[in-house]
Amino acid sequence: MITARRRNTELGLIVLGAVITAAIYTLASLGTTADLPADIGPFLGVVLALLLGAHVATRRLAPAGDGVLLPLAGLLNGLGYVWIARLDENLAALQATWTAVGVTAFVATLVVVRRSRDLERYRYTFMLIGVGLLLMPLLPVLGKTVNGARIWVGLGPVSFQPGEFAKIILAIFFASYLVEKREVLGMGANRLGPLTLPELRHFGPVLVAWAASLVVMTAQRDLGSSLLFFALFVVMLWVATERASYLAVSALLFAAGAFAAWSLFSHVQERISVWLDPWVDASGQGYQVAQAAFALAWGGVAGTGPGLGSPDRIPLVETDFIFAAIGEELGLFGAAAVLVTYMLMIGTGLRIAVRAQVPFNKLLAAGLTAILGIQSFIIIGGVIRLVPLTGITLPFVSYGGSSLIANYVLLALLIRISDDSAQAEADAGGAARSLAGTGRR
Amino acid sequence: MNRQIRRLGAALLVLYGALFVQLNVIQVLRADAYNDNPNNTRAIVRDFNQPRGQIVAADGTVLARSVPTDGGQFEQRREYPEGELFGHVTGYFSFIAGADGVERTYNDALAGRAGTTSIDDLGELLQGESKIADVTLTIPTEVQRVARDSLGDRRGSVVALDPRTGAVLALWSFPSYDPTVISSVDIEAAQQARNEVLADEANPLLARSFRETYFPGSTFKVVTATAGLSSGVVDVDSTTYPRSSEYVPPLTRNPINNFGGSVCGGALFDILEVSCNTAFAQMGVDVGAATLVTQAEAFGFNQVPPLDLPGVEPSPVSDVPSFERNTPVLAMTAIGQNAVRSTPLQMALVAAGIANGGQVLTPHVMNEIRDQEGQVVQRWEPSSWTRAASPQVAATVRDAMVGVVEEGTATRLAVPGVATAGKTGTAQLGNGLSHAWIIGFAPAEAPRVAVAVIVEAQPGASEQTGGRVAAPIAQAVLGAGLQATA
Repeated sequence: MITARRRNTELGLIVLGAVITAAIYTLASLGTTADLPADIGPFLGVVLALLLGAHVATRRLAPAGDGVLLPLAGLLNGLGYVWIARLDENLAALQATWTAVGVTAFVATLVVVRRSRDLERYRYTFMLIGVGLLLMPLLPVLGKTVNGARIWVGLGPVSFQPGEFAKIILAIFFASYLVEKREVLGMGANRLGPLTLPELRHFGPVLVAWAASLVVMTAQRDLGSSLLFFALFVVMLWVATERASYLAVSALLFAAGAFAAWSLFSHVQERISVWLDPWVDASGQGYQVAQAAFALAWGGVAGTGPGLGSPDRIPLVETDFIFAAIGEELGLFGAAAVLVTYMLMIGTGLRIAVRAQVPFNKLLAAGLTAILGIQSFIIIGGVIRLVPLTGITLPFVSYGGSSLIANYVLLALLIRISDDSAQAEADAGGAARSLAGTGRR
Repeated sequence: MNRQIRRLGAALLVLYGALFVQLNVIQVLRADAYNDNPNNTRAIVRDFNQPRGQIVAADGTVLARSVPTDGGQFEQRREYPEGELFGHVTGYFSFIAGADGVERTYNDALAGRAGTTSIDDLGELLQGESKIADVTLTIPTEVQRVARDSLGDRRGSVVALDPRTGAVLALWSFPSYDPTVISSVDIEAAQQARNEVLADEANPLLARSFRETYFPGSTFKVVTATAGLSSGVVDVDSTTYPRSSEYVPPLTRNPINNFGGSVCGGALFDILEVSCNTAFAQMGVDVGAATLVTQAEAFGFNQVPPLDLPGVEPSPVSDVPSFERNTPVLAMTAIGQNAVRSTPLQMALVAAGIANGGQVLTPHVMNEIRDQEGQVVQRWEPSSWTRAASPQVAATVRDAMVGVVEEGTATRLAVPGVATAGKTGTAQLGNGLSHAWIIGFAPAEAPRVAVAVIVEAQPGASEQTGGRVAAPIAQAVLGAGLQATA
């Protein structure tokens, strides 16, 4: 019963999201400054049809899985699609294609991963794949440098960002590793003021993660991903061990790493000075951030209306800065709605984590949700100058195949975990009922 | 683990709350400031498609107007029928470069947004009414044209003011530019025109009259003389300076010389007539740093003159402590060299201040703003900007400047039949070239026009250069200005 209700809720919400997306798309096409050719319209139909396809697959493959995540992701994906189409019609067809691949990956993940605990068995394989993916862009022939960051890999005609996938695979590895070691890592050996510190050697994994994120930052010049990897590991370590001391030590390591990066790299200093004051060089280094502020301010509370702003002045607006485009044309209302959407996804993800009975599932769900929450925070905060800008995609919204596909996989894993938990609860409930039945007899 | 997961949720909630707060800061609290930022061209885009008021010269000549296009990306295009003549005054209204000049200062009136709330706007939108207004300037086309023609194709500036009101009568600098092409709706043509202007070594976009500073040379002696008289250090008759060809300030062995090594000295009127460097250098040292700096600031130096055009440059004078450490620099500054620079506008304000009994009025180019029915929406009310001297001191300096025109270096400034006051300046550039300066006003007894002229980098380094080169230009502009204000 709960199964059917969840799926019907999901269907209803997907339809609602589709109606919202289609309405905004229509408004954007009517906007005078954007002229969207009519032949892009069908692609929107494709995007929405794909979400329905994902829903049908969920009905079969994870019938008791959470029913809110997919519609929320679909809404973000649809919004992102509208602005990508409005900003660059050539990218619209590609984004529709990436959505198709993403939804396929979503379904495939549900097909392949029938029980989330199965993932636990292959932890070291995942570790090797994860680290391999992470370091892949550094390979001489395959790796490519785009916009100063060496985060791309080219295989024949296909280019992708392996880091987007590495973050999920590493989350799986962290979850299985930490679940196994959490007893040891959680033991307090030394006391330092109010903190109980584990034995020094147990900080080894933290140092390894820290070093790896430094490699990403220095060798690949990818500040955003570096921050994300480190934050992901620290959060999962803390959740697994329940030791706040890891947070404190990690904060110190982060401060040290950040300071070293600031002293050593001019591009980091540049980011910081633009963050502190973009107006000194608003037509040079501060241009992007300044233009984003102009766009958001121009939108004001209610926005210019879809298609009626000029977000095309912002460099990289289709990817890293798409939030500013939405904020300009939908205003504070629309921007806040996007924030609320992410908060709903985070809340749902964490509830899945809390409800999971298996520690591995619990930790993995928390980790995957942390990825989603922290990554969105890093880029939105960078765009609106709450934190220094570190280029990274806005999950489900930004243009980009790797990001979209990876996030659909992430979504499928969360839904799989919630399905597992619901099934287990149902089994336990069924068992209890039958026990009660026998007792009465 | 559940407790940590809930805390993680709480932490993320705090982070997203911070995002929401920052969004409010950008989209609500600071939105107006960002919208008005000069680097932001969004306001231009919005205004570009709407009808826009005219900019009109004092005599009714149309200087800027919007005309419908024959279709294409924009519905309106902006044209400037007088071309480069008013380029630095009207500025441009450009899709690619934003707005400058009157187009920028009075954008709200021209675009029909002045003094309205958004609810009013909505009503007008529904009724199809337009609140766009026309801006009438204080500048008569004829005076501006005389300024242009007299300066010719020499780099420099002419600024003329009505000292009684602060109204600008001429604001010309060469080279200038035609705003029409930069404001073109053909974006590529506009970009190309702008690039050409930007690439021009002579920098036609630069409004030298109020955005460029120069050594004022001997015209600054008017400021020094005013400082001497106001402080009581100098008495018109009894204070005399030794006749000499050089003056050695304290703390140095390098003398300050008169032009061509000539010998001069005497009382105030004598030394101003011949522009005696040795005497004025000594006067500067005698009055002291504090008095000289205070006097310069009383004329408006070290401040941005409140002219109603964007980007007005202040005219800097060094600070008192640095003068006190270095008396030779103080002596050089008293004769308009070394530690003082001035825009042509600021020197015109010096002349206007003396002309108006020591009171400097706020300079302005806007005379009135009228709506589409011809009703005056806003009229400029003359206001005082700064008091430079007492009426008595101003009268004495005026008489001394009349002497400069009657018997001194500025004889070519004399407007026939009108008592004229003036002071020349020749700011040497050290390579046989000088900036030729003159300031002046007329009629001396009841001045209606004050003027400042600079002609850059003229051959010659004698005190005669200012009188020879700049005076005839100023004389023509004074004449035209007197006719226009008659």
